[in-house]
Amino acid sequence: MHPIFARGGRLAVYLTVWTLAGLTLSALLAARGGLGWGVGLAAGMPLTLAYAFVCLSAWHVSRFTPLAASGQVRLIATSLGASFLSAAALVLLARGWMFLLDRWTGADAAFGADTVSLVFGFGQFVYLLSLAVSYIVSAAEQARHAERRAFQGQVLSREAELRTLRAQIDPHFLFNSLHSISALTSADPAGARRMCLLLADFLRESLSLGSADRIPLARELKLAEKYLEVERVRYGDRLRLEVDAGGADDCLVPSLLLQPIVENAVTHGVAHRLEGGLVRVTASKSPSRVTMVVENPCDPDRPRRTGGGVGLANVRSRLGALYGNDATVNASEGDGFWRVEISVPVVARENP
Amino acid sequence: MTEEQPLRVVIVDDEPLARGVVREFASRQPGVEVVAECANGFEAVKAVSELHPDLLFLDVQMPKLNGFEVLELLGRSVPVIFTTAYDKYALRAFDVHAIDYLMKPFSEERFAEALARARTRLAAREEMPVEDLLSEARPRTGPLERVLIRDGSQVHVIPVDRIDYVEAQDDYVCFKADARDYLKDQTMGAVEASLDPARFVRIHRSYLLNIERIARVELYAKDSRVAILRDGRRLPVSRAGYARLVKLL
Repeated sequence: MHPIFARGGRLAVYLTVWTLAGLTLSALLAARGGLGWGVGLAAGMPLTLAYAFVCLSAWHVSRFTPLAASGQVRLIATSLGASFLSAAALVLLARGWMFLLDRWTGADAAFGADTVSLVFGFGQFVYLLSLAVSYIVSAAEQARHAERRAFQGQVLSREAELRTLRAQIDPHFLFNSLHSISALTSADPAGARRMCLLLADFLRESLSLGSADRIPLARELKLAEKYLEVERVRYGDRLRLEVDAGGADDCLVPSLLLQPIVENAVTHGVAHRLEGGLVRVTASKSPSRVTMVVENPCDPDRPRRTGGGVGLANVRSRLGALYGNDATVNASEGDGFWRVEISVPVVARENP
Repeated sequence: MTEEQPLRVVIVDDEPLARGVVREFASRQPGVEVVAECANGFEAVKAVSELHPDLLFLDVQMPKLNGFEVLELLGRSVPVIFTTAYDKYALRAFDVHAIDYLMKPFSEERFAEALARARTRLAAREEMPVEDLLSEARPRTGPLERVLIRDGSQVHVIPVDRIDYVEAQDDYVCFKADARDYLKDQTMGAVEASLDPARFVRIHRSYLLNIERIARVELYAKDSRVAILRDGRRLPVSRAGYARLVKLL
């Protein structure tokens, strides 16, 4: 539907603007055609208002030859062609109307070559103006659409982020931690408080990292350490940990990248061993790359579950989206050890 | 109602603090005696076989042997109350006639309720055919990945890919794995049903063979064949067994 008819108020505004154009044409006819004001108005106003509806076609012309997708030649040819036809129609209309005026009023509404070129010029100019306005309006509309699309995209990606985040904080981790606190409250109140603080610390940090894009590796390692501290309260001596940034503290890495791997190291690795084991999270840096390694002992005879691969698959797809083929993830098992190595290109820490 | 004999309970959980919760709640209940605390399934099987407790508080997720595997190994009616942070095992717990299912963290009131339920159940002396119910519940979890064998208070865990073949012996079956024999009180039919039919084939009334161990099959006499394993051992193949083998390969 034509935007002018889309809302009631628009047509009134449109016709008001055209009334101004009508006055202009009337004045021109009165002055140049030597008709006098009365005949000028009687000729100019109805013609212009009728032409207002002809010029509505400019919107459709602008739709069929969009600025972005059409070549210059086509654009100019279409504009000139459409304005020429419309102006010619206006001239015919004017000729007929003047003839009738001449008949009815006996006024001397002569329609000389002078008047023809005046009306034609007016028609072409006004039509081109309408066309320009149409292009501006549709460009503005497109911009608004694009903005809305971008906004929707943002909302979607934020939702996805929240979903992954929610999936990342394993509810059983929370329930088991709360159960540990419940155990400590009577036997070791100070320990219960310490566990509450550890848990709160971990949750707060992982929520704030979830909204960040890339973070210094040191923060990611700190989070892994906090997680392992909480789990150590549950598993006791069975879980040991070693975290070493290897001089790569300042390198920027995607947030919460290591976290699911560290969680797997505990739940699918150390937790399956009677004697427990050591989870090692280490990093190293070369001039162009950062390498992160998570290592843990595992039970070669543990029951295989398909669920364990989800965390790793998420890490892979995230790295693919961020770095294309420039990041690598290698997971391997050997000699009773499970090892995940991630290598990403160095992104220097930006100076504020 | 006064209990003359205390209720003897065993606590099984790999987390010391989680054992502490049960111990603490139990200590405030009259007529309850904690006779053992176990940090894993092996200790649990040992403790139950030696101490014959009245009730087991059993965690599900533990290293090496999970709670359900412990129950399967015990193979007799041990009244059990599961304690776990996971709700996904509730249906299976119901299948094995668990007395109750405590979701961590649980309150002392909820614990007392579970204990009262256990006393009622024990007073009624309900027999729970655990083994039947377990084998009924098993198909839902897919073919076995490991075979559990109890030898007195000792437990062997055999991953199925280490099994060479299974041989029927009177009332037992014998698992041949890692150059050792493991006897289990089970029927050949039950073993065959629990193992992956794409990997184990019944080549004979008395033999269930891991197909990865076959080197070749030779004609021995008319209508009678013999399977030769990679390590040279020879097993008889019946006519129906040969048909099954051909179909699989």
